[in-house]
Amino acid sequence: MLEELTAVFPILSCILFLPVVGALVLWLVDDEDMVRSSALTITLVELALSIFVLLRFVPESAAMQFTERVRWIPALGISYHLAVDGISVLFVGLTAFLTVLVVVYSWDTIRHQVKPYMMCVLALETTTMGVFLSLDLILFFVFWELMLIPSYFLIKLWGGGAERHYAALKFVIYTLLGSVFMLVGIALLNINYHHWASLHHSDQAYSFDFLDLLTVPIPINQQLLIFWLMFMGFAFKAPVFPFHTWLPDALLEGPIGMAVVLAGLKLGTFGFIRFSIPLLPDASKSETVVAIVMGLGLCAILYGAWMALVQADFRRLLAYSSVSHLGFVVVGLFALNYQGLQGSLLTMINLGFSTAGLFFIAGFLYSRQQTTQLSAFGGMAKQVPLLATFFLLIGLASIGLPGTNGFVGEFLILLGAFEAKWLFGSIAVLGVIFGAAYFLWYYERSMLGPLGKAVKSTMSDLQLREMVIAVSLSIMILWIGLYPSPFLRMMNGSVQALVDRLHHEKTAALDSDRTGKGY
Amino acid sequence: MSFTLNLSFSDLLLLLPEILLTCWLCVVITVDFASPRLPKERLAYLSVAGLLVTLGCLAWFDVNHVTGTLFGDMFVLDRMAIFFKIFVLASTILVILSSIQYVNRFTLFRGEYYVLVIMSALGMMFMASSNDLLSVFVSLEFSTLGFYILVSYLRDDLASNEAGLKFFILGVFAAGLFAYGISLVYGETGKLVFSDMASAPATPGLIIGFLLIFAALGFKIGAVPFHSWIPDTYHGAPTPVTAFLSIAPKGAALAILLRIFLVALGAFKPTWIYLLVVVSIVSMTYGNIVAIAQKNIKRLLAYSGIAQIGNVLIGLAAGTKMGSDAILFYLLAYLFANIGAFAVVIAVSHAIGRDEIEDYRGLGRRSPFLAFAMLLFLLSLAGVPPLAGFIGKLYIFVAAIKEGLYTLITVGLINIVISMYYYLIVVKQMYINEPTDPSPISISGPMRAVIYVGLAGTLVIGVYPQPFTDWVVAATVMFANFVAPSALAIPPNPLVGS
Repeated sequence: MLEELTAVFPILSCILFLPVVGALVLWLVDDEDMVRSSALTITLVELALSIFVLLRFVPESAAMQFTERVRWIPALGISYHLAVDGISVLFVGLTAFLTVLVVVYSWDTIRHQVKPYMMCVLALETTTMGVFLSLDLILFFVFWELMLIPSYFLIKLWGGGAERHYAALKFVIYTLLGSVFMLVGIALLNINYHHWASLHHSDQAYSFDFLDLLTVPIPINQQLLIFWLMFMGFAFKAPVFPFHTWLPDALLEGPIGMAVVLAGLKLGTFGFIRFSIPLLPDASKSETVVAIVMGLGLCAILYGAWMALVQADFRRLLAYSSVSHLGFVVVGLFALNYQGLQGSLLTMINLGFSTAGLFFIAGFLYSRQQTTQLSAFGGMAKQVPLLATFFLLIGLASIGLPGTNGFVGEFLILLGAFEAKWLFGSIAVLGVIFGAAYFLWYYERSMLGPLGKAVKSTMSDLQLREMVIAVSLSIMILWIGLYPSPFLRMMNGSVQALVDRLHHEKTAALDSDRTGKGY
Repeated sequence: MSFTLNLSFSDLLLLLPEILLTCWLCVVITVDFASPRLPKERLAYLSVAGLLVTLGCLAWFDVNHVTGTLFGDMFVLDRMAIFFKIFVLASTILVILSSIQYVNRFTLFRGEYYVLVIMSALGMMFMASSNDLLSVFVSLEFSTLGFYILVSYLRDDLASNEAGLKFFILGVFAAGLFAYGISLVYGETGKLVFSDMASAPATPGLIIGFLLIFAALGFKIGAVPFHSWIPDTYHGAPTPVTAFLSIAPKGAALAILLRIFLVALGAFKPTWIYLLVVVSIVSMTYGNIVAIAQKNIKRLLAYSGIAQIGNVLIGLAAGTKMGSDAILFYLLAYLFANIGAFAVVIAVSHAIGRDEIEDYRGLGRRSPFLAFAMLLFLLSLAGVPPLAGFIGKLYIFVAAIKEGLYTLITVGLINIVISMYYYLIVVKQMYINEPTDPSPISISGPMRAVIYVGLAGTLVIGVYPQPFTDWVVAATVMFANFVAPSALAIPPNPLVGS
């Protein structure tokens, strides 16, 4: 059982509900500029709260911190349980950070129905935060599902593409399909707990609480069943190859703000490291699971990179590069060793800066040329030198150049993969090369060389708001790239505890007196 | 069988809600005749007042644990009966409130409408208490009698007449099956009270008899393959009657099904579980798939109702105390979402005069309140958290998974995805498409009240379900000792013993 540090003040609830309460307040505001500035204020306060949590977070600790735990539906063992640990705390900051940037970006790019747009963005922030903060599986599932509603409206009402209706429906149906399987997995965990509790005369008959479920042993065949059920939910959301087909559509047709959140916050892979691996250690370790999941990861790396090579549309290219990066994350996760898990976690955070950053760049390009097709660009570096510079910097971070954040994460993943299975590691390296190829190729053809025919001669360089976005992303990229240890220190404790649980789980799982240290 | 009737005053207390409502029925009908110039909406408020008094009486029973049996076990007042009576009365009140505007469409007999609604409600209250086959039959037919008239109340509307005729012919046919089933069961066992039958051996006559009874009750709740009357009747009937028909009789019939399957047939669970699994799967799948193609909102809700009953039957198939808790909880969630959705339909059709899904274009612009309410009701029906419908579905699935009904759960979950698709079609019409006629829609006071109650129920049960789970767990306490053999349940965890 993990040590829990209870919060004096329910700060996580504040973080969780501030955006949605803010969204309701926005309803009362009529003036469009007021809507924009109120939304910005709300997201900035949210960011400040998240930074406060990050500063007060005790690093190098496996403990659940800022815990809030209240019974919600005792008849079914559902509780309202929020906490952060090394695995989730950075995502809280990342979500708050990206939402501020989305609001800044949308300031003048969203011109119609500003109020509902900002309300959807704020609602999306609450649901995303909920996914990262919840430690009760049903609470987690509630936010996981609720996220679909603002996403659906965002893609459908503010999407730019002609196929946005199709993309929105596809997104909802695919994610729902995965998550219903996950719900069965969650219910099985609960029933398993129930059998255990009734044999041990526990005072609680049912529980969906992550920490309760950790204490209960699960037979291996049942672990495998639950693992694959939950895998469906996470794999559709992540998306892991071959469940990725909704992603290019949603990213291409939806608004940039939505794409930033969808591609920047890796909820699916977070689900693996938060729930699947700790709850089902035997299943996660079993040879077949590792082989299949790592195999899918490798396919994703190569397939995503290969598809990205031939895309003429920048947003589609980014979608496939996202698939490829997720392959890396999955390979790192299922290396199941310290470096692999740490690298994956860091890469998930990094992608929040680099992939999301590239989507912002795509948005900047879109607002200048009304398209992200390659044919509309060429030699633009002369006209928009600042844009081109930031494009290069963020892009290099995305391909993992040393000195940027991408390098640290990918390096750790490859290290972990080599240690676990050298063959898989060496195939994964190919992905790095492809990654450099598709990005640099696109960059060269759009920014360098002679001026493209379709490029307008009166193109303005980055505006103030765009500068704010680009500079803040670049600071984070260079900070993690050059001095990653504050971030790594935050996750170390929890990652170590997870590795301990994975490799000594026989003793941990049978340790039923609920006082064992670590997981 | 000798039958002596000696009633004391305390016995009559058990019948107090029914007696109150009967008296009130007479009051309403007398007032209607005595003062023909009285505006009919006064009559509606008068009816609601009586129903509220009865509801208060039942609530008092529930709090003070007033329980007992009457007439040689024919009539039982236990906490489950009280739950279903409250359920029926609550839906009746909401239906009467949402009818007030609609009643103006009737050319004749506007006052009698309320009398008939109360009469059906009275029949369903008796259904909730029926504890033997004869009282089930009598109360069932009593409540249906009112519905036969109500469904064809729009005298000049062909669809309403067709609906009434279809409902009547199929309803009478079902009643015939029921009576035949009763005669077979009585012939084989010599018993009519459910709890007395529990030890009867399974003879072919008994099996056929129960299958016939199940078919008749399946007709009431609208489970496939006994659903064929539902779409046309729902479509043609006056919309408040459709709303009433879609919720109250289903609840009352489920009370009877619970008593039959868990009390009378408890020992045969390994056999009937397959029957229920098949009916449940077919109902969910058929209802949801056919709903996709619907153009009319009432027909869409009709098919979605068939699918919802499939979900409820999952809980019955689980056949445990927890399964029956889940059914009761699910019905509560369904009550608010379904009546709410129908209230929106009534409000929209009052403004537009039609019920096609196409007419919901741009409702988000024309009436943000109605569109938002409809959105929440549909999402609750689809089972999206944190609304009531989600907790209901979760409760049912947990109960079924505990019994190892994996096939049923898988089909149920896939059906959630399918149902999301057609609910989203309506959402799309409301929010994405531009309205053809942008004029705002006005909503009357009582209608607004109904929608607010629906919203409050849907949200409160979803976010703070604890009092409601406590209530349903207490209501089915009589099934607590029901331990049926369950061959399919998950074997105990082998690691735990070590």
